[in-house]
Amino acid sequence: MPINDPIAEGLAAGWHHLDGSTMTEDVQLEADVVIIGSGAGGGTAADILSEAGLKVIVVEAGPLKSSSDFDMEERTAYPNLYQQAASMKTSDKAIGIFQGRAVGGSTTINWTTSIRTPEPTLEFWAAEKSVSGLSRNELDPWFEAMENKLSIREWALSPNANNDKLKQGCEQLGWEYTVIKRNVAACWNTGYCGMGCPVNAKQSMLVTTLPAMMTRGGTLLSRVKAVQIEHHKDRVFGIRAQALNEQLKPTGASVMLKGRHYILAGGAIHTPTLMMRSGVIDPYELLGKRTFLHPTLLSGALFDETISAHSGAPQSIYSDEFVWRDGAAGKPGYKLEVPPLHPVLLASKTIGYGRSHAELMEQFNQLQVTIALVRDGFHPKLEGGRLSVKADGSFSLDYPLTDTFWETARDAFASMAELQFAAGAQKVLPISEGMAMMGSWKQTRQAIADMSLAPLKTVVASAHVMGGCPLGEDRQLAMVDSHGRSHYLENLSVMDGSVFPSSLGANPQLTIYGMTARNATRLAGELLKTKSPA
Amino acid sequence: MKRRHFITGAFATTAALALGVSLYRPELEPVDAEDSHRALFAVLVPVLLDGALPRMSSPREAAINRTLDAISQTLTVLPQSQRDELELLLDGLENRLGVLVLTGSMTPLLLRSPEQLVVMLESWRDGFLEMQQQAYYGLRELIMASYYSCPEHWGTLHYSKPKI
Repeated sequence: MPINDPIAEGLAAGWHHLDGSTMTEDVQLEADVVIIGSGAGGGTAADILSEAGLKVIVVEAGPLKSSSDFDMEERTAYPNLYQQAASMKTSDKAIGIFQGRAVGGSTTINWTTSIRTPEPTLEFWAAEKSVSGLSRNELDPWFEAMENKLSIREWALSPNANNDKLKQGCEQLGWEYTVIKRNVAACWNTGYCGMGCPVNAKQSMLVTTLPAMMTRGGTLLSRVKAVQIEHHKDRVFGIRAQALNEQLKPTGASVMLKGRHYILAGGAIHTPTLMMRSGVIDPYELLGKRTFLHPTLLSGALFDETISAHSGAPQSIYSDEFVWRDGAAGKPGYKLEVPPLHPVLLASKTIGYGRSHAELMEQFNQLQVTIALVRDGFHPKLEGGRLSVKADGSFSLDYPLTDTFWETARDAFASMAELQFAAGAQKVLPISEGMAMMGSWKQTRQAIADMSLAPLKTVVASAHVMGGCPLGEDRQLAMVDSHGRSHYLENLSVMDGSVFPSSLGANPQLTIYGMTARNATRLAGELLKTKSPA
Repeated sequence: MKRRHFITGAFATTAALALGVSLYRPELEPVDAEDSHRALFAVLVPVLLDGALPRMSSPREAAINRTLDAISQTLTVLPQSQRDELELLLDGLENRLGVLVLTGSMTPLLLRSPEQLVVMLESWRDGFLEMQQQAYYGLRELIMASYYSCPEHWGTLHYSKPKI
């Protein structure tokens, strides 16, 4: 069955799209609002502002790829759609970080899990981080609006076997579990969301808000990287960018972007990095500090029956049994989910080599993997990482894996193994050096109690980068106010996951959608009040 | 010097022709740049992928060569900072002083037996020096990702992408 490519159709119909790789001369572009980043924040803001009648330019450092390019192979998807070809890591290499880098940002490659911001997180922000107006009651209408716009609904089909084992384990143990809401429409249930949806079922920014913005006359720049915020006193007067070639190296052509207002939405690594590189005023040295990752542990389990964890909706069940058990500021909790498995992902995120590794890979279709996402940024001894700008303008991220993290990791490994055995696993393997497949919960529990946990030796991954440019009303705690407006530059806003004052304890896309919808709507009203008639 | 078929490539090609099939059909773009670390990877790949590589010599060598091409391709898509770090490591493993620092022996890796290479990898894996640990994990991830990125290596996994 032929599959329409709405991006190809839109471009043919005359959308304003400029590809940096084709730029040979310097250009200057102007709009009411310049948005840096095209992910959950940038896409949502572009839609709302353009719908309000404002002229918008969206700037994305990655390429414009669409369903015609999504061939469901990791060797294509990772270089095309992920930051650093999916090999991005913290400076000590101990945490691998998955983040999108293409039009649509991480929404193009995420697993579609959509969760409203947990109430304990919002209460913590209000009580400890001077955030105002972001209670669940105040946010829920925005979540509802975005859920309607992006077809976010509870997954109605049966979970695939990978998720079903999570559900079965919870049922056996009496643990909480929830059916996940996903942003999909007419989903084919294939399981390749992480490589770009090949059938345009995922309602990512790529196929929803950005096309809407371009249909209204907005402009999209791809392969154009913002490098410098030009500012003086309390105003931004331009953002300087570089055109990039197909290898994402500068072509030599530069782009000057001018607007009445500027929105940074490049994500929790690139927004703070751009601001730091630009020397944005930061008297309390907040930028790039408290960068959160939901550092994630993995536990493999072998089942007699076929799991085929690559097939079917990647995430449809989660368990919050352990997220808030000791209160928001108490011992860090962890959320239980499952990842889809594909050959490169599994081969690189497991341990060992040679025959033992080959034997594990041969059991690919019997393998179930559970993950535990640790809630960072609440406990005083798990305060996240720190971004810094290197001499060449790129970034490095130091993320200390503290004793508090490892204590939580040990608990998480035990919970995952207990759950997997309860679901009927024959063997369980905590993914950490020194561990082997074990055949009973009793044996595994003891091995986990005795296991050595350490950076590099224990596999830790992240798919959720947050923080580094916090929101709130107290300037000693926040770079932007509770509506995302800069405390120091009157025509600058930040609308992405960098504004979170802690991690969420939940997958972030819906929080970014809801908060951005709220903040961009308010911004549109303010800009329209001062817009001169055309 | 270009060494696209470092390991008895001629033999693999001959065998394939004799069987009337092409065992080696690279789908990735050929890497034009001089591939100076191919020899080094050619001794590491069979050790790290022992058990995953085919046992029969012809398909085994085809798979090794395919993986070496995929490694070259993977290196081209890594960010410059990571390529620089890997280049530093690979250069170190190709000169005597670097090998001495990283492995405690001046014997070139190309002259070591698979068993000796396993001892080296295990010492890095279990070691306490961050430099050695990063070398182990960096090379392991690069080789594993490159091998399993190739659809022709998915046979033992019983994995295939759906037809849409």
